[in-house]
Amino acid sequence: MEVVITKKDNETVARLIGRLDTPASAGVAKDLEPLIEAASGVVVLDCSEMAYISSSGLRIFLTVRKAAAEKGGKVIVRHISNEIRSVFMMTGFLNLFEIQ
Amino acid sequence: MKHSLKTLTDLKQIRKSAGLGLLIVIVAAATLEATALVQYYFSQKGIREEASMRAESQMEATRNQIMDVVNQTEAAVRNSIWIAQWALSVPDSLHRVAQRIVEDNPVVMGSTVALVPGYSPRHKLFSPYVFKKEGELVFRSLATEDYDYPSQEWFTKPIELDAGYWSEPYIDVGGGEVLMTTYSVPVKDRSGRTAAVLTADISLDWLTDLVGNVKVYPTAYSMMISRDGHIMVCPDSSLVMQATVGELVSQMEDTATFGELTRTMLSGASGSMAVDYGGKTSIVYFSPVERTGWSMSIVIPEEEIYSGIRRIGRMVFLLQILGLAMLALILWFLARSQIRYRELNERKDRVVRELQIASGIQMSMVPKIFPPFPERSDLDMSATIVPAKEVGGDLYDFYIRDEKLFFCIGDVSGKGVPASLVMAVTRTMFRTVSAHEDSPRRIVTQMNDSMSDMNESSMFVTFFCGVLDLTTAHLCYCNAGHNPPMLLTDEIRKLPVEANLPLGVMQGMVFIEQEIDLNRDDAIFLYTDGLTEAENAEKEQFGEERVVEVLHGRKSSEEHLKNISRQVRLFVGDAPQSDDLTMLFIHYLGADSSAIQVPAVSEHRIVLHNEVSQISQLEGFIEAVAKDRELDLSQTLNLNLALEEAVTNVVLYAYPQGTTGEVDVLARVGVDWIEFVVTDSGKPFDPTAAPAADTTASVSDRRIGGLGIHLVRTIMDSVHYERRGNKNILTMTKNF
Repeated sequence: MEVVITKKDNETVARLIGRLDTPASAGVAKDLEPLIEAASGVVVLDCSEMAYISSSGLRIFLTVRKAAAEKGGKVIVRHISNEIRSVFMMTGFLNLFEIQ
Repeated sequence: MKHSLKTLTDLKQIRKSAGLGLLIVIVAAATLEATALVQYYFSQKGIREEASMRAESQMEATRNQIMDVVNQTEAAVRNSIWIAQWALSVPDSLHRVAQRIVEDNPVVMGSTVALVPGYSPRHKLFSPYVFKKEGELVFRSLATEDYDYPSQEWFTKPIELDAGYWSEPYIDVGGGEVLMTTYSVPVKDRSGRTAAVLTADISLDWLTDLVGNVKVYPTAYSMMISRDGHIMVCPDSSLVMQATVGELVSQMEDTATFGELTRTMLSGASGSMAVDYGGKTSIVYFSPVERTGWSMSIVIPEEEIYSGIRRIGRMVFLLQILGLAMLALILWFLARSQIRYRELNERKDRVVRELQIASGIQMSMVPKIFPPFPERSDLDMSATIVPAKEVGGDLYDFYIRDEKLFFCIGDVSGKGVPASLVMAVTRTMFRTVSAHEDSPRRIVTQMNDSMSDMNESSMFVTFFCGVLDLTTAHLCYCNAGHNPPMLLTDEIRKLPVEANLPLGVMQGMVFIEQEIDLNRDDAIFLYTDGLTEAENAEKEQFGEERVVEVLHGRKSSEEHLKNISRQVRLFVGDAPQSDDLTMLFIHYLGADSSAIQVPAVSEHRIVLHNEVSQISQLEGFIEAVAKDRELDLSQTLNLNLALEEAVTNVVLYAYPQGTTGEVDVLARVGVDWIEFVVTDSGKPFDPTAAPAADTTASVSDRRIGGLGIHLVRTIMDSVHYERRGNKNILTMTKNF
């Protein structure tokens, strides 16, 4: 799993490339620490290239979301595939994130 | 009480037997007596006939001798008649005729030719008499005044009868006091006138000897009486010619019989008659002597006749008594042995009956109802016990307490009743001790101590005791000298056991406990050496190799035991069962094995270590599974997600930190379903028991955990956890 973070204005975009499974989640959690720091602004999780997510990945998403909620920021999940959308649905995450 | 009852029945028996014996003796005695009587009667008849024959033949012989003399005398006299006729004209020559008769005939003692008075003109009376005296011939005339021969019987009778006449016997006074008789015949001259009487005297001395010596029986005697009833010969010589039978008869008590007897005798008849005389019965045989008018008789006392047969009769009677006594004795012995035999039989029957009861009791001591735990799906058990005799020394037992299967098998040294008693004690002790002990070692140790304590007959028991934890499949066991059970896993091998000493050998023995983890579907086969040591006619033993051989193949425990029994019977053939044969088959099926597995089309398996990185391999694994089912991406990813969540749970939480463990993942692909079985040997953990995640909670309320199992539950159609043995098994199914 590869994470590419870019900053533009108030917006921090993290591109998640590959499978966010349990083995990958530890690394991703570390990679996304900058997003937690930037949670007061707008955080974008670009899932256009994310093929798979397991509960460990969802937990990282939730961690970011919780940080944003504390700091008054905003989390946007962008370009999720139908498959991941269904996982979000199953877990009630659709209600927690702004999906674009 | 029981003893007196027994004696009473015995008494009855003896009385019954004695009665029967008495009856037999009486019947035998009656038969013998009847036979003896019939025989006696016929013998008596025969003996009487024989006596009569003997008497008659004796009399016949005697009479013949008498007749010889009589005939001789008569012939001598008759032959001289013509000479006498010729000499009549010359009376002086008549003495020559008499002389010639005496000289020519030794039996004739004297002779005379007596002229009828007046016949001779010269002699009024004329009778020249010639007789023998001391070998010399003496001549004398009988024509004396005092004799008056013409009036003598010997002279008058022949003339009167005109025939030869035998005179009454008489004692010759002049001639030496001998018994004599005279035969006289009339002599006629040429004109036919009776001119003289020619006589011949004969002595009857020989008659006394002849008749007196007739001895048919020792005490029998003979008699001869004359025509007039004079006694001629009789044992009492004083009576000879002194008495007549008539006089004697008048002195008898039974005059009538004697009178008839003498009348018959004197009438010239022959025959026999029984008479009582002097308190005795005698048989009188009588027969006449022709011409002389004499009657001869032989008197035989009846007891003399029958003395032989009576002696025999007495002997027969004695023998009969002896025989009957022996018969009675034999019957008594027979009756006694019969009673004893019956008693023995009864005792035998009683023993057999008691053994049957004992057998029943013994069999009721071991569990006999199979399947023993029909409500349980994790155990399939069967056992069989076949004693070589009515009762045996083998035992097995099992029961479940606190989800633990306690089981044992044992073999008491020896066979029969003593062994069965020890068996009963052993079984009871197993139940008593195991009721509060979970450890096979402690069970065996306590049993050993108790049994050594009371083991005076020094019988010991080889014993194997096991405790199988049905939830963990953990088996603890302790062996006490028993042969190792067979362990049936993928292969068949002996369960590794410490030998240890049998129970009851020595107190304070230390027993070593062993343990092993069973897997689902493993089985243990316990048996006594009656199986391996079953011998055929060739003294060949069934042996362990055959046991291993017949244990192959997947069968229910009952089928296994039936099969083994059949194989042993086939092997042994007609040879008698030498030892008790006991078998116990425990098939551990694992928990919830009742669920019938639907056959899968394909199966995939992967075994991972408890490292997070290993989870990545699931992607490829799922792709292979998806290929079988041609699943779309969404379905594949969902399955991947569910499986990953399940596996992650194990990898992260099942094994203590720092230890390695495995996760076994089995994917079974069916026609329209896929099943994942995730198995680990970690600590018991039921993920399905975790609280459900609240998917509706707000961001701040939302908890970090609980998502995994939530996803598994949401994606899969059924999720089931079970702890089987030391394993956690999570089964998840997705239907399409």
